[in-house]
Amino acid sequence: MTGGLDEFRVSVRAWCEQHVPRDWRQSQTGVGDEEFVRFQKTWFAELHSAGYAVPHWPPEWGGGLSVAEQILLYQELAAHDAPRLVLAFVGIHHAAATLLAAGTDEQRRRHLPAILDGEIWVQGFSEPEAGSDLASLRTSARRVGDSYVVNGQKLWASGAKHADWCLLLARTDPDAPKRKGISYFLLDMTTPGIEVRPIRNAIGDSHFCEIFLNDVELPAANLVGAENAGWQVAQATLAAERGLTMLELAERLGNAGFRWLVEASDVDDPIVADRLAQFEAEITGLRGLCRKVVEDSERGIAGPADASIVKLYYSELLQRLTDFGAGIGGLAAHTRLAKPMSSGWESGSWVLDFIGSWEWTIPGGSSEIQRTIIGERGLGLPREPMPERDLVSPRESGTV
Amino acid sequence: MAHEFAEFHDELRSVAGDLLAKDRTVDWPSLVDAGWVGLEVPEQFGGAGASFAEVAVVCEEMGRAASINHYLGSAVLAIGTLKALQPSETRDKLLAEAVSGEVRIAVALGSEFVPDAEGADRVLVITDEGVGVAVVTATSQPVLDETRRLATVDGVEVSEVLRFDGDRDAAVRRLLDRAAVAIACDSLGLCEAMLSATVAYAKVRQQFGRPIGCFQAVKHACADMLVSIAVSRQLVESAVRAIAEDRSDAGVGSAMAKSYVCSAAVDVVGKAMQLHGGIGYTWESGIHVYLKRAALNRSLFGSPAAHRKYLAKRYR
Repeated sequence: MTGGLDEFRVSVRAWCEQHVPRDWRQSQTGVGDEEFVRFQKTWFAELHSAGYAVPHWPPEWGGGLSVAEQILLYQELAAHDAPRLVLAFVGIHHAAATLLAAGTDEQRRRHLPAILDGEIWVQGFSEPEAGSDLASLRTSARRVGDSYVVNGQKLWASGAKHADWCLLLARTDPDAPKRKGISYFLLDMTTPGIEVRPIRNAIGDSHFCEIFLNDVELPAANLVGAENAGWQVAQATLAAERGLTMLELAERLGNAGFRWLVEASDVDDPIVADRLAQFEAEITGLRGLCRKVVEDSERGIAGPADASIVKLYYSELLQRLTDFGAGIGGLAAHTRLAKPMSSGWESGSWVLDFIGSWEWTIPGGSSEIQRTIIGERGLGLPREPMPERDLVSPRESGTV
Repeated sequence: MAHEFAEFHDELRSVAGDLLAKDRTVDWPSLVDAGWVGLEVPEQFGGAGASFAEVAVVCEEMGRAASINHYLGSAVLAIGTLKALQPSETRDKLLAEAVSGEVRIAVALGSEFVPDAEGADRVLVITDEGVGVAVVTATSQPVLDETRRLATVDGVEVSEVLRFDGDRDAAVRRLLDRAAVAIACDSLGLCEAMLSATVAYAKVRQQFGRPIGCFQAVKHACADMLVSIAVSRQLVESAVRAIAEDRSDAGVGSAMAKSYVCSAAVDVVGKAMQLHGGIGYTWESGIHVYLKRAALNRSLFGSPAAHRKYLAKRYR
């Protein structure tokens, strides 16, 4: 390790000790939406003032930490049990990745500084009929003069009720094969014609939403990349879900997550002790894998299935681990009816964390989709023959 | 640091892979000539002056080839033990003779079954004081895995007891950690061989008019093999580094690697046998060779449960 990194670690530690709120897990348990949003925005601003909110952005936009420094930063934040950035997540990762990869200068200037000022983003990709088969999406965007008129319905849009802007995928050419007729837009959530309805999830939260779009008019200048090239642009957004975001979650699992599991366990019970040791080995392997994927991505040598391997392993390990926590917690674990907002899935409220763990095995490409990607892109196994309707345009196949 | 050695390791891996692919059985002189016995021995004794990190590369290739040879007992264990001893005339001579191939040594370490003891010129026996240099009667102990050579020893005649360099118990602990990690490397290599054989088979074996690799049931099982290999590799690399750098937490890394990787390997090879179908269960296919070796590896130098018990002591 170089002297520079050592110094950086010392300064991050000092900052964490001073700024990570001591009692946030207690004070944020059972709070309402308003307090959650306030807390998230305050914590984001605090991180930003230290230069820690968007370490992965290029220096000219307010980031510029090296990959080694980013890894170290997330390790220290997890070690100091800092709150998670939940609301800002899509903005600093997905929106930024998209704008940096495919946005115009004007789009970047409009949005990147705004994200640092607290602009909240939501991802409008999935639809009722387009889940794992995302490319079959039906929401349409019709060019009218200098605008597009959007109609359709989006689903599983996390945080949509707090969002200022939406990353929107919509079909602009129903006559092209399904991946070739999709465009990528930036949508102002205050535009008339947008209705957001929260959906209550399995743990009773309502952070993901449906978005109904009725004749929503958006300026053509909000198209990202070329018309009908939205599928490729979306790959940049989806790629941002891995790498560092996974490293952060793995570090959290290795710190607070495992610590609380040990605290909750009867370590004198040899069966329990054996399971704990198994989890420790698995978490250690996961953390190593996340670091490797981040480093390899930086060097441009990451494998085509690496992101899927990490996502699959994290999500299923999380499920096993929270299941175990719920099991050893006995009936008492079931009396924890609320978990701290702004925490991850290692809140120590094991039953809620366990039920909530399906939020990792289903979204962002379900475990089944990840295994298919790993088999095909990682191992080169043959694809399943495409059904005929996928070879023609949505209009020909009658799906729009 | 990792990047500096990466090229050397790739080259070593490729040379070792080629040599081991020729014949399943590799005799002692060939191991000596390849320079693998003296890999981590200082140059003054005729070695290559490399480290355990390079030995680990060879171990992985041994697993990949399911190779039959004396490398585990007479190089990994023997050289590791001799290096842990205080320099002395006997120690230095044994080290030089082992590297040159004049004598073949085995080590009785932590089990009544001694790898590669049959036919060895000397057996090093761990005692309360240090390491006894002995001539023994070794009796071959057949095991289901025909790629490993285990023996029981009796009639132990110790000619001289050599001292460990430093604390005896700590030195023995380090030797056991090294041995465990060497086995984890072997299991990682054999997993990779089985995944690549299975993927190759799934691409060409046709049923229902298409390669079976098209089917999700097969594809997803292969994906699971790759995932557990990816995790295994992280644990192995980290444990190898800890051993090579003689870090104080090497025991933890070694216990994680040995318990996770050697368990995962049995699952991976089991899947390989399953996905090969009836052919996979035949003697001819050779998959049983890997399954038996994976199962033996899991039991060598501490079961997964024993290693996890060691890890769990830290939770109190």
